[in-house]
Amino acid sequence: MKDLQSKSQWLFVMVAVAAITMVSGSATIWTSAEAQEGGGLPEGFTKGNLAALPSAEMVEAGKRVYFTKCVWCHGVDGAGDGPAADRLWPRPRNFNQGTFKIRHTASGELPLFDAKKPIPGQNDLFETVTHGLPGSAMPSWEGILTEEQRLQVLSFVTSQLVKDRKFDDKETETQTVLQLDGIKPIPPTEESIKKGSELVVDKKCIECHGVNGRGDGNAFNLKDDWGFPIQPADWHKCWNFRGSRQDPYEVKNIFRTFSTGVNGTPMPSFADNTTIEERWHIANFVQSLCERDVNGEPLPIDPLTDKPKVNFVIRSGPVEGDISDDPENEMWTKRERRIVLFGGQITHKPRNFVNRIDDVWVKSLYNDKEIVFLFQWDDRSKSVATEKLPFEPTEVNLDQYGIKEQASKTGEPGSIAAQQNQYTVYNDAFAFQFPVKWQELPAPIKPRFLWGDQKYPVDIVKWDANGTIKAYAGTGWDQDFEDRDDFTEKLKVLKQEWKDGRWTLMVSRPLKGDYDEDTKFEMGKYIPTVFFAWDGHNGDIGRKMAVSAFYYTIQEPPIPKETYIYPTLIAIGVVVLEGWVLTRRANKKKGKTL
Amino acid sequence: MKTLIGGLLGGAIILVLALLSVGILPATSLKLVEGYMPMQMLFELGISVLVFALMSRLLSMGGISLPRFWQGILFWAFILLYLKFRVYPPIPFSVRAMYGTVALIAVFMWMSSNEEDWKKFKQPILNVLDAGTPFHKALRTTYLIALPIILWGYSYNSFLPNLDEPVELRTVHPAPPASTKVHGKTFVLQTSQNPYRVNPEGKYDQEYTNSKIVEQAMGRLLKPEANPWDEKAEGYLKYVREGGEIFFQNCHFCHGDNLNGRGLHAFAFNPIPANFTDPGTIAQLQETFIFWRVAKGGIGLPNEAFPWASVMPPWEQHLTTDEIWKVILFEYWHTGYYPRTWD
Repeated sequence: MKDLQSKSQWLFVMVAVAAITMVSGSATIWTSAEAQEGGGLPEGFTKGNLAALPSAEMVEAGKRVYFTKCVWCHGVDGAGDGPAADRLWPRPRNFNQGTFKIRHTASGELPLFDAKKPIPGQNDLFETVTHGLPGSAMPSWEGILTEEQRLQVLSFVTSQLVKDRKFDDKETETQTVLQLDGIKPIPPTEESIKKGSELVVDKKCIECHGVNGRGDGNAFNLKDDWGFPIQPADWHKCWNFRGSRQDPYEVKNIFRTFSTGVNGTPMPSFADNTTIEERWHIANFVQSLCERDVNGEPLPIDPLTDKPKVNFVIRSGPVEGDISDDPENEMWTKRERRIVLFGGQITHKPRNFVNRIDDVWVKSLYNDKEIVFLFQWDDRSKSVATEKLPFEPTEVNLDQYGIKEQASKTGEPGSIAAQQNQYTVYNDAFAFQFPVKWQELPAPIKPRFLWGDQKYPVDIVKWDANGTIKAYAGTGWDQDFEDRDDFTEKLKVLKQEWKDGRWTLMVSRPLKGDYDEDTKFEMGKYIPTVFFAWDGHNGDIGRKMAVSAFYYTIQEPPIPKETYIYPTLIAIGVVVLEGWVLTRRANKKKGKTL
Repeated sequence: MKTLIGGLLGGAIILVLALLSVGILPATSLKLVEGYMPMQMLFELGISVLVFALMSRLLSMGGISLPRFWQGILFWAFILLYLKFRVYPPIPFSVRAMYGTVALIAVFMWMSSNEEDWKKFKQPILNVLDAGTPFHKALRTTYLIALPIILWGYSYNSFLPNLDEPVELRTVHPAPPASTKVHGKTFVLQTSQNPYRVNPEGKYDQEYTNSKIVEQAMGRLLKPEANPWDEKAEGYLKYVREGGEIFFQNCHFCHGDNLNGRGLHAFAFNPIPANFTDPGTIAQLQETFIFWRVAKGGIGLPNEAFPWASVMPPWEQHLTTDEIWKVILFEYWHTGYYPRTWD
């Protein structure tokens, strides 16, 4: 059904493209012929004309939109220095230089903007405002501002806040436009993807994006035009691609970004040194890396959040005998995985406004003695503290050691964006918590998500990248952890490995511990679970971390006998009924004919 | 001629429904007008019945008459598809099942309205049961084997243990306390006022401040003469700007740039952050209620509102009392709502 749907949609697009080409056919052919004769233009691009400036009324109306919605991040003069700016990374766009990331125009050129033409593919800035920039704080304004209002505010921004360049200056500005709709895509066949995987090595993409495309290459030396540290995209999380236009699995968007480059960043345009065919192979390869479900289908994306849809139940599957410590073992590869999303811990000081770990994939298996969790999450750097920390691992109130949250008003030099990659490096770490004595909690009460409370303590298991794993008791967000040495002895790290921008961690814990201190698992019961992650290179330590919502861990019960017995009885009943109907009909007919 | 038009129209209706069901036509493209949905649905279905009648006449004129049995089955299938794919926003399965059953009964009544029709309807079923021809015999064998297997699979699935997320009902706006103590000062919720909701004379003035909020139209834009970013902005509007600065340094991470609960971290949390642009949140509440909620945060909620799950910070740990009042002022200004009053 799904397949059919996408195929038929594709067909529809093809028909539409064909129709458009038929209508505007002569013009298109003429321009591309000219492009070939003219030479100098990269393949797939044609010369475009600068759009007329928007009317003064549009600009004036746009000012009103700007000072209601945009000024808070982008600032009074559009210099990307609004009140929110210092706590954001990436920082809000500074409009003054006219540098815009997502475009159909050649590298270095202004983006497409025409206040009279809100047409997808022909109006880059309009599309950016409409769809937002996923993975950043720029939201989608569709449904909030009308089409007219979006064009108005862009009229204001392009004519008043872009100060160093003029959108209609024929002397200095050119428009070389990628004709994305006129270029026939190459289907993402195995062959094309394989060619792409070779090309990303050839074209040195992996120098920044990493051998496996997790953005872990040259991750700590990259800066944008304004000198702020910047990180290469993680190809496995296409929903965070800024240019995804809320359609993350669409390969065209990757083709576009790759062809035009990302202005203001170290990401160049590859239009000059790749053929169109090569670009499709690379785009197909990058798209093929994006996370998928067990059947290889794109993950369902929640349109409200632009992130994969979440299921809050982590199922642990039954295993007879020993549980393998190899994630490639069949018992693990066949196991369904669930995504757990992280936000920054922004409830108590020090708040973590930028969490570099934003999700983890979880699998779980159990046997009669232990329950094992397999966690895999992307982290661009392996971080292990080189010096002994001045505080005990159990301490959580670390203000006196200078673990502070980002001040709200620092000016650019002290903003979060400027601070990135300059933090003291601590251990990467991961933890999960279950309630102690959950059997006695009066439903729906749970211990608080942030390390429980005095009345309802929690069982915390925390792993550190230096290889230690420990069991703690948590009794509140501001209470130091208490060691549970007895239980620590029973915990095991079955595997820990950082490879090409991804941590793999496998942890085993007993199903049953001491009733009063450790969580005792029971078959088929929902155990409230919270996950925590620390990125050592982000300066994460103590309460400065990433945190999930409440999930549930449940031991999948083996399928009970009744599940086979009753359906079989029903099927037998149906057979008997069939026999009865047939006999009755036969008798009736006989009676009639006799 | 009329029948021809009817037939073509019927084809068009079926085509639209088919496009809807495979997703080529997005479900939102043919909108039903809100509030008139039942009437529109009945109208559309009525037209369809009429058109189908003409269509069947056209077919029989052309010499290909559809057996009564298949007419019934197809019409019922049409109703089911219509309910599933035409109606947007989608209706839940249980309701669709109810309508589907009613439609099935209606089809039966239509089929059995007179003896002759009933016979015609029964005939294909009896043919299969009697297995008079090789084709019918093959069909009968298939049914006899497939039916128990399908039912086995269906009941097996329904007997599998259900491991869905447990449902828990949370009270979003619990009853507030009579008073709340913030930074050593006690605020009585019934009598406290936002000290920044003032007119140019510095007096508490709802009417004046309400006249300066954004326009309650699409986009909710500021009134040109009431721009908090105007350099000359004084009093209320200046406080709104200061509140906005605090909001965008602290709150937008969850509640979003447009105060609609879709902020940068919102996706990770459950319960999801409140949407202030929804008429069911701050527009329904008194300003002092918001003050209590902001100051005490998730951890200060009573149990029916799940304090253990809310990541809302107790803002008294981060902001001064004045800053909290200014943020609240900004939230009402930016959404274009009036705080509810006690009288």
